[in-house]
Amino acid sequence: MWEGMISGMMTGITTTLIPINIAMVLFGCFAGSFIGMMPGLGPITAVALMIPVTYGLDPTTGMVLLSGVYYGAIFGGSTSSILINAPGEAATVATALDGYPLARQGYPGKALAIAAYSSFSGGTIAVILMMFFAPMLAKVATSFQSADYFALMILGLTSVSAFAGRGGVLKALLMVILGLMLATVGTDQTSGIQRFTFGSLELLDGIEFLLLAMATFALTEALSIVLKRDPASDSFKPKMIGFKSLKVTKKEFKFITPSILRSSLLGFFVGVLPGAGATLGSFMSYGMERNLASKKEQEKFGKGSLRGLAAPETGNNAASTGSFVPLLTLGIPGSGTTAVMLGALIAYGIEPGPRMFIERPDVFWGVIMSMYMGNVFLLILNLPLIPYFARLLAIPRNIMVPVILFFSLMGVYLITFNDFDIQMMVYFCVAAMALRLMNFPMAPLLLGFILGGLMEDNLRRSLMIYDDSISFMWERPITLTINLITVFILTLPLTRSFLSSLRKKS
Amino acid sequence: MAREKVGALVILLFSAAYGLLARNIPLSFLSQQEVFTARTMPYGLAVIGIVLAFFILVLPTVDPEGKKSLSETTKGMDWSTAIQLVILMLIFGLIMKWLGFILSSILFLLGGFWVLGERRIKLMLFSALLLVAVLWFIMAFLLGVYLAPGEIFYLLGVL
Repeated sequence: MWEGMISGMMTGITTTLIPINIAMVLFGCFAGSFIGMMPGLGPITAVALMIPVTYGLDPTTGMVLLSGVYYGAIFGGSTSSILINAPGEAATVATALDGYPLARQGYPGKALAIAAYSSFSGGTIAVILMMFFAPMLAKVATSFQSADYFALMILGLTSVSAFAGRGGVLKALLMVILGLMLATVGTDQTSGIQRFTFGSLELLDGIEFLLLAMATFALTEALSIVLKRDPASDSFKPKMIGFKSLKVTKKEFKFITPSILRSSLLGFFVGVLPGAGATLGSFMSYGMERNLASKKEQEKFGKGSLRGLAAPETGNNAASTGSFVPLLTLGIPGSGTTAVMLGALIAYGIEPGPRMFIERPDVFWGVIMSMYMGNVFLLILNLPLIPYFARLLAIPRNIMVPVILFFSLMGVYLITFNDFDIQMMVYFCVAAMALRLMNFPMAPLLLGFILGGLMEDNLRRSLMIYDDSISFMWERPITLTINLITVFILTLPLTRSFLSSLRKKS
Repeated sequence: MAREKVGALVILLFSAAYGLLARNIPLSFLSQQEVFTARTMPYGLAVIGIVLAFFILVLPTVDPEGKKSLSETTKGMDWSTAIQLVILMLIFGLIMKWLGFILSSILFLLGGFWVLGERRIKLMLFSALLLVAVLWFIMAFLLGVYLAPGEIFYLLGVL
């Protein structure tokens, strides 16, 4: 096991140390931080916006760039959360709880520096854990057959829904189904029959994954900024931050270190769960620290507690890294952002899953090792750049929104060179906007869309192997185990509400 | 009506229409004999979609955010600007073929800035020209991608 891991690490190091890959980690971290910092734009949008850039690159380099963008965007999101209380996405909401009060008390530099150190620590510890767990899981998964893959995909899709929160399970499941429906548009890969193309040549190849990702995230998020526009906040004017204010004392470091260690572990394991992702990682870390704190310290939570800032910041970075484990080993995304990355992998012609560990160790280990570098880059690059990044928040929305729209539209057009795609993007954007207004989540839709084709293929293959019988669902022990986990996860919200009603009664 | 119920109703109708359209998927004689055809998955999805949407419609809304009505949620939103931007994007898609990448992109950006209330002409021109020039340089020179000029230039005899 150790030999395999060491040789894998060496492959990863040699892959990552190629100048183009170093440059891409650097560029990814920078671009991710920049996009993630924009209020309203989260890591999904950041990754989707950068995919067109990666199409001309080698798959490993492309994935290295996208990974850099991902954790850069998480870091960038915390900057806008702390400075202007405008979290770019749900994963950095918990950061704003104590980060923003700390900034208002006159310590924006300290808050940003603690966020940077916590992100670095959480990310690095999680990468070390990932190095041990990912190959183990990948080795187990090499014995998987079509039936197991089909069951795994069902597990991935239901997990996303199970973690959707109170009252959100059915809505998330429905969005998954909608995504699967969209995936059936185009020519059926096995029979060659056209489905839902309405005679349109443009729909023969189905809906472009990037088009849907851009329309449902980048375009709708830009339009949301316009719809919810507050004239008073057309441009933010954060206080200028000096380098001296970034200093964190030894005593403060000592105070937050145990929180960072605990949150790294918790965040990583939460991130590994398919569907949980960085949001749950950050909130669970925040909750754990508040519960563990003394009564006096507990009162400071929400009012600028250092532990309250360090915990979610560590938790979301560790969970972001953890969410790569199911993506790289099973081909099942752990979050909305990794779902977009899965789409990119498929677009590069790489079949995600355990075979990738054997067939493309350069991609597998390259991504893992590039994360080490990315975390170091984020710290040494972003810490001195914080004062300048903060000034970028002052870009007026009048300029920012059309630029986001332009890049989103061009991102798709410059790949397909088809003006019909621009029209289709706008229609999907309007539909996605309407669904968002009706409180339906978009990430499960994208996940369903990306896994749809693979799921249908694996189901068809399993049925052929088992003579058109669905007995594979319970005859194969691995499939049965996965199905039982799915049933458990699916009934978890029901069990929880049943138990809480019992507790209330007693 | 709670906004998520409205959404569920829309998706229920969509699922029903999707299921009906799935009947039009052509099947060859041989594939008609198979258990799993090109219609199987769409039929299954339509049924699950209808069932889930129906459950959301009839079960009580638990999510406090979902309980709000659509009018409550959309109250005070800047619809006019958003609709103008959507129309601008559609126009961008239509003129791209005729005016080409450079001209249509500059017009789209200028239109976007204007719709959002920007009136500083110099800033608008500087931002639009700079962005398009940088993107064009990257695509045409660094990546070697051929960006066709608009058809109007051929029609006018300029090219």
